[in-house]
Amino acid sequence: MAAETGSAAARSAKSCKKYRTVKRHASIYTYQEPPHSNSDNDNGEEKADRHDPEQIFQNIQYQKEIMSNIRCRPWPMRQKLRALRQAKEIVLKYEGRLTRTRGYQAAGAELWRKFIRLAYNFVVIFIPWEMRIKKIESHFGSGVASYFIFLRWLFGINIVLTIMTGAFVVLPELLAGAPFGSTVSKTIPKEHIASAQDLDTIWSLGGYLQYSVLFYGYYGRDRKIGKAGYRLPLAYFLVGMAVFAYSFIILLKKMAKNSRMSLASASDENYTFCWRLFCAWDYLIGNPEAAESKAAAIVNSIREAILEEQEKTKSKNLAVTISLRIIANILVLLSLAGSIYIIYFVVDRSQKLERTKKELTLWEKNEVSVVVSLITMIAPSAFELVAALEMYHPRTTLRFQLARVLVLYLGNLYSLIIALLDKVDSMSVTDSEVNNNASNSTSFLATKTLPEENNLSTTIPDVQIQTNTTITLEDSRTTNLTVSDSLVNKTVSFDYNTQNSQDQCWETYVGQEMLKLSIIDMIFTVASILLIDFFRGLFVRYLSDCWCWDLESKFPEYGEFKIAENVLHLVYNQGMIWMGAFFSPCLPAFNVLKLIGLMYLRSWAVLTCNVPHQQVFRASRSNNFYLAMLLFMLFLCMLPTIFAIARYKPSLSCGPFSGQEKIYDIVSETIQNDFPAWFNTVITYISSPVVVLPALLLLFMLIYYLQSIARSLKFTNNQLRMKIQTERSEDKKKVVQMAVARIQNLDGSDKRPEQESDIISQESSVRSSTPRKNGSVLNFESPVSKGIRIQTISQSVAQTVPLADAARPVNTTPATSASLTPAPSIPSVQKPRSDHITNRYPSVVHGSASDLCKTKPYTPVTFKKHVEDVHSEPLFRKGIRQVNPDVVGAGTPIFVGRRPHATRYYLVNEHESRKKLLRSTSRLPRHFRMDEGGDIIELYPRNVRRYVVRTPHRMYSPHPSEEEEDDEEDLRRDLMIRTHRPRSLSDLRPAPRFYIGEHADGHVLMGKDIAKVHYKSWDDGFELGLDRPPYAYKKVHLKNVEVDQHYPEQHVKPKSKHKLEQSPTESDSVSIESSSDPQNSGNDQYIQVIHSKEKYLKPGAKLTKKKSKNGVDLSVAEPNELVCSNV
Amino acid sequence: MGGSASGLPREALGEYQELTFLTKQEILLAYKRFSELLPEEEKENARSVRIPKSRILTLPELRANPFRHRICRVFSTSENGDDSMSFEDFLDMLSVFSDSATSEIKSYYAFRIFDFDDDGALDKKDLEKLVNCLTGEGEESRLSNAEMEQLIENILEESDIDKDGTINLAEFQHVISRSPDFARLQRCISQEAALPGGWAKSAGPGGSSAVS
Repeated sequence: MAAETGSAAARSAKSCKKYRTVKRHASIYTYQEPPHSNSDNDNGEEKADRHDPEQIFQNIQYQKEIMSNIRCRPWPMRQKLRALRQAKEIVLKYEGRLTRTRGYQAAGAELWRKFIRLAYNFVVIFIPWEMRIKKIESHFGSGVASYFIFLRWLFGINIVLTIMTGAFVVLPELLAGAPFGSTVSKTIPKEHIASAQDLDTIWSLGGYLQYSVLFYGYYGRDRKIGKAGYRLPLAYFLVGMAVFAYSFIILLKKMAKNSRMSLASASDENYTFCWRLFCAWDYLIGNPEAAESKAAAIVNSIREAILEEQEKTKSKNLAVTISLRIIANILVLLSLAGSIYIIYFVVDRSQKLERTKKELTLWEKNEVSVVVSLITMIAPSAFELVAALEMYHPRTTLRFQLARVLVLYLGNLYSLIIALLDKVDSMSVTDSEVNNNASNSTSFLATKTLPEENNLSTTIPDVQIQTNTTITLEDSRTTNLTVSDSLVNKTVSFDYNTQNSQDQCWETYVGQEMLKLSIIDMIFTVASILLIDFFRGLFVRYLSDCWCWDLESKFPEYGEFKIAENVLHLVYNQGMIWMGAFFSPCLPAFNVLKLIGLMYLRSWAVLTCNVPHQQVFRASRSNNFYLAMLLFMLFLCMLPTIFAIARYKPSLSCGPFSGQEKIYDIVSETIQNDFPAWFNTVITYISSPVVVLPALLLLFMLIYYLQSIARSLKFTNNQLRMKIQTERSEDKKKVVQMAVARIQNLDGSDKRPEQESDIISQESSVRSSTPRKNGSVLNFESPVSKGIRIQTISQSVAQTVPLADAARPVNTTPATSASLTPAPSIPSVQKPRSDHITNRYPSVVHGSASDLCKTKPYTPVTFKKHVEDVHSEPLFRKGIRQVNPDVVGAGTPIFVGRRPHATRYYLVNEHESRKKLLRSTSRLPRHFRMDEGGDIIELYPRNVRRYVVRTPHRMYSPHPSEEEEDDEEDLRRDLMIRTHRPRSLSDLRPAPRFYIGEHADGHVLMGKDIAKVHYKSWDDGFELGLDRPPYAYKKVHLKNVEVDQHYPEQHVKPKSKHKLEQSPTESDSVSIESSSDPQNSGNDQYIQVIHSKEKYLKPGAKLTKKKSKNGVDLSVAEPNELVCSNV
Repeated sequence: MGGSASGLPREALGEYQELTFLTKQEILLAYKRFSELLPEEEKENARSVRIPKSRILTLPELRANPFRHRICRVFSTSENGDDSMSFEDFLDMLSVFSDSATSEIKSYYAFRIFDFDDDGALDKKDLEKLVNCLTGEGEESRLSNAEMEQLIENILEESDIDKDGTINLAEFQHVISRSPDFARLQRCISQEAALPGGWAKSAGPGGSSAVS
């Protein structure tokens, strides 16, 4: 039992999967049934499984799986709801039976799930600007929104950077570091103090700002600060590196995720046209104007694609365009070089001015950043103009444009930083010169003392102090400093005007420049948004009415939102931050503010005065592109910083690293001084070439190895794709063959119902009738030729009889079984059919016909019952047969094989495999009811065939035995059938009487008459044949196929449609059978008998009895009348 | 968060959350939007009423969409074929179009939306209709016959793996899943992120406050 249930569960799971896949591939979207059937199955299984905890557990797991995945299923909500509720019910119902721990586990999991959901709901609230971005998205589509999403992502990164620098550098310095004014590096020099609060000083980040945590120079050089001994210099260095490390990691992670999501970038599959078409529409667009421009863009892109496709064949060599392009590129290069030169020149000039002029004007102070910002603003437009010369494809143009702008930005940043570092060089020169001067003036003592007094903030004052006085350094430092200052100033003053020891903090200087640049850039951005977008928008909007041309569509138009350029600007901005972050720890914090402002301003501007860009750069693709640019930027911005750190000596007078030879010495120093000795040795080993070189080699090898693996994977990928293609094509061939076969079959079955000319029906009836008249042999043969199953008929006869006998005992409870089967099993889907059936029955009614046949000999009462049954059951046969049992109970001779199953299977297979199958399984037991007389053999040719065929396909068989059956079993059945058939045929044939029930009347006709009736009845689908003795009814044949087809045509069309649809969907074998059925109606009947027998046989206990009776039955059967109902 | 005034029972809300890709706020918002489409007297039982297609199409999110009729058809469970939508249909739609829906389900529905004749495969007729939907009605925007033919030929060449002249769901999903646009932002094909946000927008300050 357990095994059975297990297999049943497995089967149901399989069926689920199958069903799903079937659904997916099914051409017709009918999703009504699955959950239903699902639940039905489950319920049924549950009952069966009741006693096996393992089964219950599995089932519950299965249900839970359903629950967790249900949202991913493409069903309508109602269905999902139903499935969910049922699954929950089952889980609730049966979970109690499991062990406590499992219950607790489940409860815990449930709680956790709820918590997660809650947390998710909660977190969503805190995603910044979500609503704003969605709003933009709905107006302008995802392209524009991608800019804002990118901005938000950058914002997130900057938040983290800010937290890192804030928590580990700025805060400790503020809390535990030496207070403002306590050391030289933290005090404003006297001569500057007067102007320290002037606006223009503040503006140029001098004065108080310069001597604040904003910049590198303010940080103290004490190795440990505060009571806890916080190692600020070390932290400063590590945080500076961590900023880069974090940025790299997060960027690479994001890129990897993106590339994982889009396999496109890796694969060279190109579905240009498909993407252009299927992914063309941006479903986020809600604005009619945007929709219009989008539609136009789509048309353009499609036309472009077509043109490209056409031009691929053409060879284009236009000297003009080539020369134009060369010229354009030269122009671009020139402008790039020019911009780089200008920047360098400006930096140089400002430095000279600083040296030579005491008072700098506002312009002179901000010259550098203003020039840089101006260039970044103007040059892209110039590039755009130049690009017009080139006459490239718009997409290529955009790419060129982006590349050039990126190069420009990089060039700007680089020339700036190089100029700055140049200045640093000169500063260190001045440093050394100062040293020289000092040493000169102080003679050799200075050199001697210097090494000893590393602690002093500046070497120069120390030297001075040493020479001038012998006061202990600790006490006199502050006092001496001023002295030394003045001294140094004096000594230096001949060479340099205002060079102050504190001014020589080149790190602060670089930080200042970067911050200044960032601020100016922000100002220019705001200005450009206001001027280029807002005021232009206002102008166009309000003056277009009183202007001589249409402002909105001609010259000024509305500003476009240029996604690519804007994103590039963001990248550039972030690059500045990375470049300056080491020298100005607060730069990320500033950038956070800047990004917030930008977000609001941009989104406002976009919503109020922008129109979407004409050529929308593909959001997603560009997204990866953006990231790549950002990564590029990060790398290039990291280089100068690293270079500066590695190359230059930190300033002597300021900053956490003053007094060291190199900035990174802090690490080795810390390792040497503050770590145990063994660690130090380990580090020296690790950093020795002995380890480093092999490690490098190993890395190279690894890279090479991974690369080759990637290449081979790509190769196998290609091969697999080829394989898929060939296999698919083979599958296709098979399908085509099947389709051909089906069509041939359909010619028989389908056409009749549809076209159903009298001739066809007559022919079919003739065939059916002829075999009967002639004898069993003929019938057998004809079926054989047409249908596979038919062949078996001859053999089956023997068995059929026994089966019928076996059925008899069962028949004692026919009424109940009959009533039971229909109601529960009928699915919602079937109901409509049943309704149809009911409608039809009154007129044609198989049931009635069969009943009539039976009733005539017996009692009319049963007839009514039968009819009712028929109504309740969608399938005619079932109802009829079930009715028969009743009749039998009444004392009627018999009835029998309830093959209703077969019919149901048929339906099930076609439409909803699952439910019906399940139902059919439940019904199977009922089939066993046999007539008391045992004489009556039900012949359900079609049902049988279908049944056999379909069960293997679907794996759903009503009876356990059937379930187990594989194709082999089917074969067995066939064999069985064959054996049975001969007998039944022979038996049946001898009795020439045919009762044909036409319509509800159910006339009993004599053999000859019957033959005629048959033709007519064909259409109706009823054929009832009665053999000699009234009590011995061979069987009522309900040909499922015929019935289905005929009925719909004659009576209810909806049914016919169903069937028609079904038949095409059916597998070939099924279709073949069905097709064969109508032709071989007579044969079908026999086959039906076989089925009943088989089913009967299935109940193991009954089999023996049946067999014993079979012999009797055989004899009886011969005299039996054939009742054929063709419906 | 407006849950009390929404009129959605708690259990239903929970179930909807389990059955869709939407968050609680989004469901509430959707409910609000939905009931706003209803006349006053029917607002009470918004969950049992169906909104006719014409009213659904007044939503700004659908108004400009060339596939709006198909969307209504695909998501409507109306039995009489009038494409009216119940609240649950509405939720289904939003769920599919939401950000967090899987690309599989998105591509499934995209396929159905594109399958104009509901026969389970994109054939030439479907593609033609699709192109016409995208290009709009205008004379000059419409593709010429030759262009159309070339386009469809190319599309089939690219995506019709089994060379049967139609694109079935599997082929469609294969192609679509390779699309960077589809896979990454998942916005391209199926309105994805669109609607909830869109709803919020059109729901006005109340809506946005509910979500934010």
